[in-house]
Amino acid sequence: MDARDDQDDVEKVLAGDISAFEQIVNRWQAPLINLAYRFCRDRSRAEDMAQEAFLRVYRGLKGWRRDSAFSTWIFAIAMNFYRSELRRLPERARLSQSLEVLENIAAQSTDSTNADRDRAVRRAVSALPAKYKEALVLFYFHEMDVSAAAKSLGLPEGTVKARLSRGRKILREKLPQFLGEFRLEEAQ
Amino acid sequence: MKPERMDDLDSVLLREAEIIPSSGFAKSVMAAVRSEAAAPPPIPFPWKRALPGLAALAVAIVWSLIEVFRSPVRESASGVPLTHWLDGVVPLIDKAQMFGAGWVLFGLLLTFAGLKLTWHLAGGRL
Repeated sequence: MDARDDQDDVEKVLAGDISAFEQIVNRWQAPLINLAYRFCRDRSRAEDMAQEAFLRVYRGLKGWRRDSAFSTWIFAIAMNFYRSELRRLPERARLSQSLEVLENIAAQSTDSTNADRDRAVRRAVSALPAKYKEALVLFYFHEMDVSAAAKSLGLPEGTVKARLSRGRKILREKLPQFLGEFRLEEAQ
Repeated sequence: MKPERMDDLDSVLLREAEIIPSSGFAKSVMAAVRSEAAAPPPIPFPWKRALPGLAALAVAIVWSLIEVFRSPVRESASGVPLTHWLDGVVPLIDKAQMFGAGWVLFGLLLTFAGLKLTWHLAGGRL
């Protein structure tokens, strides 16, 4: 993705050419939908969330200061919306995402395939408290770039590192047999 | 700033299936954007109409404060001056009660509670 293309399209949109926004949507639709999906694990909802994020990007285009990268700005806007949207999950869904779920996941994961276990770890991440989940999801979404994750979350890098460390510790404590077993298989 | 060493957790969480956006997604977003662009701008707050009322309110507040602090200092039985601002407030409350201020306040609190409950039940969405 070329940052220059984004800037050119933003200028066009601000000058009144709304159709230029379609280029921005085409370039950023996959990242924004995938980021939303990693939080909600529901494709349809991920697209709804990404659509609303794009609307917010459109409304806020005037506010983009050119001293930050467009990618940083668009992810920060999307994350800001995703966080508030996920906080409004129906109560039933929120209850199912308690840490107690991790115990069940650990019990189910002892005799499963790698794919099942990958799914179990992702479910375990979903069951983490929001601040750890957000840090972990953003960290891996940005391919383990703490700096990018911190910018998307609007937090200092130190805070993100601390949350990553705590989140990973919780996962390891809750899934010891699974992660240990996986480690042995990986080593073979 | 990427860590050099990867562990088992990293291996699992880095392996995420990519979601391909549905074919009509961009069109749907653009339809929403065009609709947003075509919508009339939000109605600005009617400052011109509100200003006389706000000015009257400010004057009333200032006048009340002046009256409260101008009220004469009384002395208690022991000869110690009473906190005269309280002496000024009591007659104001009495007068307000004559106009049913208690019921108005109750009504306002009830409306506020109703709005808060509705807001909560709607999940913060209006």
